[in-house]
Amino acid sequence: MNFAKHHFLIGNKKQKNPLPDSRDTWNDGKEAFSHYCVACHGMDGQNTGVPFVDHMSPPIPSLASKHVQSYTDGQLKWILDNGIWPSGMPGSKGTLSDDELWSIVVFLRHLPPAGSQGTPDIYTH
Amino acid sequence: MNASQNLWGRKLMKKKYILVLLLILGAAIAPSTWNVRAQDSPRRIEITAKRFEFSPSEITVKKGEPVVLVVKSADVAHGLRFRELNLNVKVDKGGTAELPFTPDKTGDFVGHCSVFCGSGHGEMTLTMHVVN
Repeated sequence: MNFAKHHFLIGNKKQKNPLPDSRDTWNDGKEAFSHYCVACHGMDGQNTGVPFVDHMSPPIPSLASKHVQSYTDGQLKWILDNGIWPSGMPGSKGTLSDDELWSIVVFLRHLPPAGSQGTPDIYTH
Repeated sequence: MNASQNLWGRKLMKKKYILVLLLILGAAIAPSTWNVRAQDSPRRIEITAKRFEFSPSEITVKKGEPVVLVVKSADVAHGLRFRELNLNVKVDKGGTAELPFTPDKTGDFVGHCSVFCGSGHGEMTLTMHVVN
């Protein structure tokens, strides 16, 4: 299945990120990621503080994992646009702008250390 | 012509010279003051932001002419960012914010809402045409 996703099912393999891989873009991506992605992925993208992470099927992968990082930038953007079946991850095209989605790709390439960002606010009260 | 008439005549001529000089100075200064007044009044364009659109959704401005975008929120907090032009303004729920700038290049630039406002946030765009 992983092979199929990487080579056939997830599109946009060759598209390059039009945004620079810079600290400013990373900050933009972190902010965009914080709107609702953190609910499932945690603030560090590695599931920290997400209470149901062990109860999902299929499980929510760590975005720092080799499985996720081996997608191209274009493929990550495609996943953000369309979601990924059968996980239930929704697509964000139209909910976030293209610029915001591309900036999230930059954030994903430079995730903060696991556990360094704490628990999402929605799970602390 | 007697002496008193001569004196009166010289005084009148002196006043005429002064008047002409003042008129010339006034003609020289006035246009520059008009220009200063024009530059003190940038064009103001009112834009309403509401979930999930900007109104108007397209504007046209001139390169080199100062502009102020007056962004008003009709509901929740919004923002307007033109990434290519390094312009960004945020407006509070129900509030108003101003974005002054002078376009320095022509082209079509798409601005996006820069404060997450809900499901259609990603589709909130404003196209700005900068012309000569």
